[in-house]
Amino acid sequence: MKRIVLVIGMIWMQLLAFAQKNVRYDLYIRDTTVNFTGKERHAYSVNGSIPMPELHFTEGDTAEIWIHNELNTETSIHWHGLILPNEQDGVPYLTTAPIKAGKTHLYKFPIVQNGTYWYHSHTGLQEQGGMYGAFIIHKRDEKPMQEYTLILSDWTDMKPEQVHRRLHMANDWSAIKKASVQKGAVQSYGDAILSGRLKTKLGNEWKRMLAMDVSDVYYNTFLSNGKPEIQAPTFRAGDKVRVRIINGSSSTYFWMRWSGGKMDVIASDGSDVVPVAVDRFIIAVSETYDIVVTIPSDSTAFELQATSEDRIRSTSLWLGDGVKQLVSPLQPLKYFEGMQMMNDMIRMNGNLDDMGMNMSLQQMDMNVVMYPEITGALPKKKKSHNHMDMTNSDQYKSNDLSDIVTLNYNMLRSPVKTTLPDVKTTVYQFELTGNMNRYVWSINNKTVSEADKILIRKGENVRIILYNNSMMRHPMHLHGHFFRVVNGAGDYSPLKNVLDIMPMETDTIEFAATESGDWFFHCHILYHMMSGMGRIFTYENSPPNPQLPNPEKALKKLYADDREFHFMFQNDFATNGNDGEMMYMNTRWNLQAEWRLGYDKMMGWETETHLGRYIGKMQWLYPYVGFDYRYRKMEMGETERNLFGQVNTKDQRAALCFGIQYTLPMLIIADFRIDTDGKLRLQFMREDIPLTKRLRLGLMYNSDFEYMGSLKYVLNQSFSLSAHYDSDMGFGGGFTFTY
Amino acid sequence: MKKIQHLMLGMLLLVAFTSCASPIKNAKTEILKVAGNCEMCKKTIETAANRKGISSAEWNKDSKILTLQYDAEKTTSDEVLKRIAYAGYDNEKFLAPDDAYAKLAECCKYERMKKDVVVKEPVAKVENTTASAQEQAAETNLLEKVYTAYFALKDALVKDNEAAASAKSTDLAKAIKAVDMSKMSAPEHTVWMKVEKDLLMHAGRIGEAKDINSQREHFSLLSKEMYDLVKVFKADQTMYLQHCPMYNDGAGADWLSLENAVKNPYYGSSMLTCGKTTETIK
Repeated sequence: MKRIVLVIGMIWMQLLAFAQKNVRYDLYIRDTTVNFTGKERHAYSVNGSIPMPELHFTEGDTAEIWIHNELNTETSIHWHGLILPNEQDGVPYLTTAPIKAGKTHLYKFPIVQNGTYWYHSHTGLQEQGGMYGAFIIHKRDEKPMQEYTLILSDWTDMKPEQVHRRLHMANDWSAIKKASVQKGAVQSYGDAILSGRLKTKLGNEWKRMLAMDVSDVYYNTFLSNGKPEIQAPTFRAGDKVRVRIINGSSSTYFWMRWSGGKMDVIASDGSDVVPVAVDRFIIAVSETYDIVVTIPSDSTAFELQATSEDRIRSTSLWLGDGVKQLVSPLQPLKYFEGMQMMNDMIRMNGNLDDMGMNMSLQQMDMNVVMYPEITGALPKKKKSHNHMDMTNSDQYKSNDLSDIVTLNYNMLRSPVKTTLPDVKTTVYQFELTGNMNRYVWSINNKTVSEADKILIRKGENVRIILYNNSMMRHPMHLHGHFFRVVNGAGDYSPLKNVLDIMPMETDTIEFAATESGDWFFHCHILYHMMSGMGRIFTYENSPPNPQLPNPEKALKKLYADDREFHFMFQNDFATNGNDGEMMYMNTRWNLQAEWRLGYDKMMGWETETHLGRYIGKMQWLYPYVGFDYRYRKMEMGETERNLFGQVNTKDQRAALCFGIQYTLPMLIIADFRIDTDGKLRLQFMREDIPLTKRLRLGLMYNSDFEYMGSLKYVLNQSFSLSAHYDSDMGFGGGFTFTY
Repeated sequence: MKKIQHLMLGMLLLVAFTSCASPIKNAKTEILKVAGNCEMCKKTIETAANRKGISSAEWNKDSKILTLQYDAEKTTSDEVLKRIAYAGYDNEKFLAPDDAYAKLAECCKYERMKKDVVVKEPVAKVENTTASAQEQAAETNLLEKVYTAYFALKDALVKDNEAAASAKSTDLAKAIKAVDMSKMSAPEHTVWMKVEKDLLMHAGRIGEAKDINSQREHFSLLSKEMYDLVKVFKADQTMYLQHCPMYNDGAGADWLSLENAVKNPYYGSSMLTCGKTTETIK
């Protein structure tokens, strides 16, 4: 191992002397065990480290990188932000052959740019497990300057596959975990009543929104170069240090703040910008920013802090040596303010309404209503909600509201003109769409596998107008190209390869189509990408890709990512019977089974199985076909009569049924069905009403005059204590197992 | 009545019980230095430090010493000191965030722990920094004459001596003009360029003015610029930034001094010791 490093080091030194040569790196990918939190977990290491090694090149070099896959599974490496031949891009099955277990793969491409980039696995969820590293390209005539590379990441003790599966179940375990660090993350009715915001919570649920959050996943820790905090003690007073910051996390945005004064932002996504001094900036997932800071004094270590957007935790880099100069922690988000804002912004049909404010380029941050440092601390006493003047857009402009200068995309300006060649421009309209409840993420309500590839022609320009009609922000990344983020700088609009777009924003990006082959454009939040939020741009008349001899078959493998089915199971083991459900679902389809199993004939057995498809962007409508089986011993002369006057006297029933489910305001699921015996049933059900952080209420009533009420106390991610009353089975208590 | 007595007794017992019931396990005691001024500081510092059953601390406002007892298995002294710094108080491990310090009550605005010490490292240990070492050596004396003239001017004002003030300000102007800019580093040069003109202007006005009130007015503006300078150009001696809250109808004004004891140049003999030291610059 050491020898490899040495060899690389020697090659590197040589290359410094004779620049513009082959630079070779060997990367050995292995399974490893890490312990970040006191628990041992599986992760991926490369050359024995997490993150992957920091690679350095000089513009004009040729990169020769050998990947040795010592895993039992296949892998891939994508060079994020690099301009390179299509087959070197590293998206398995789209541009590059996957690197099979035990195999070695060579990436070789000329380095034609400079700046701060990174590389990561593009296979499954491997990135979350440690496969990310810095890729630094120096300018040929770079002025020597002190620098430091900081790669940020997020770590969860839960297996990434489980994180992904649970996101699709709308399970709020993540919020419960967050609430144990910081109150209020669950946004329960209890919290709402205590803070006098019951109306806000009701309004939220009326508009069919689950608890809001700025991020979906609970992370146990955040890492700076693979550690919760790191020291860079060599810097002295007066030193100007270029810090290259890379957000290599899977789904965490970070607020960057520095305790030694202002930071000069000098580059974004690898391309230079005119330096701009800021107090703080948010770095989206997969973005890179280069900043210059001046060390104000000696005997002091100054903190460069990265706080997750949900403000649950942070990670720090200390520049300098000595007593530590802190940055104040960011105060918790004012969730109920955010919920009120969402109530105001969302229409009944689930579309967002920007009230004609033409939001763009991160200038107007609706979330400022939740930031105590900008909009003040929560009022101590309950006050009638001072309803905001919704048409006054200034109230969301962070930089007008306080002295804190927050970077936004309109402050980025390229030092050189970035205008595109004067050729034909094709315009695409992308509406970013999503559904939090089922965790479906798409563009124009179509996932990658549901949409056709977008055909573009070399030599023309492509302009994309993005509108974010979902409730989350999305870092949209384009492979193999830089795009202009059209902003107030006009001809000097900055070049980037990731665009963070906030809810309700409309942004325009454009690029010259100068390459060939297939290029991925996708949301870089790993779980959004895996759910299908992306598109493929494909150049007309591209030469066949030697790495993919059977492109159609390969594409199916790529599409399999967002076609994946997720399984969930829940059973309540209670004194009066078993009550449970099972789901096997993907983006549109859901195979559900529900059962109520009594312990004797009088209680009976009952199962319902449905196969259905979710309709529409919000997926509130779910028509299905199903099969019911029921056995219940009736007493002599007992008849069951329903709301529709229909009578049942049979002990045993088996029937096919057809029905539709529709999610009503307050997240009540209405289920109307008819079976092959002609029986009708209308049922209303709401589960998981959050009463307190861990207490959940469920209610059900139907036209067979059956009803049910239940209380669950969530113990951990798999078990809850439960108590319920059921019209068929009476009182029962027990525990619920959830997978 | 009896009921209330019982209740009280019960509560007392409960208090006694809980305080007995949560002694700190695995107790470790450390003596730590925490800055602060007054009783109010004491309260804030101790509230920040104490966690039931985990850590308990007592701070002495005269010695600035925090006696901390904590459960070594559950926390560390660093964790406690960090909380204290977040509450606004510099200590031996952490300096408070500037906004946390700014939020402290006026009476709690203690003299902040030094941030500006230049560590004089043996040259052998410093690699690749010969250039900056030279810079440091050069910068030490670059403004020495300016500083000397400034302090002479200040002393004249302290003594209510208009004529002397006028003369010293002429010395100051000369010293400013004599500064060798070629030896300055880039950040020093930037600051210097920013303040040089104003310094000369104020020094000139003090020289011209025959009325001490007008001299003092310009001296307050001059002192502001001087403060900017000393932040960047390190002096040989320790300097103190001092503040008179009354000057200019309560707007207040600062000055620099070589001694910690307050001698107010804005009021002279009429109110010689009004004011306080707000920062120590080393």
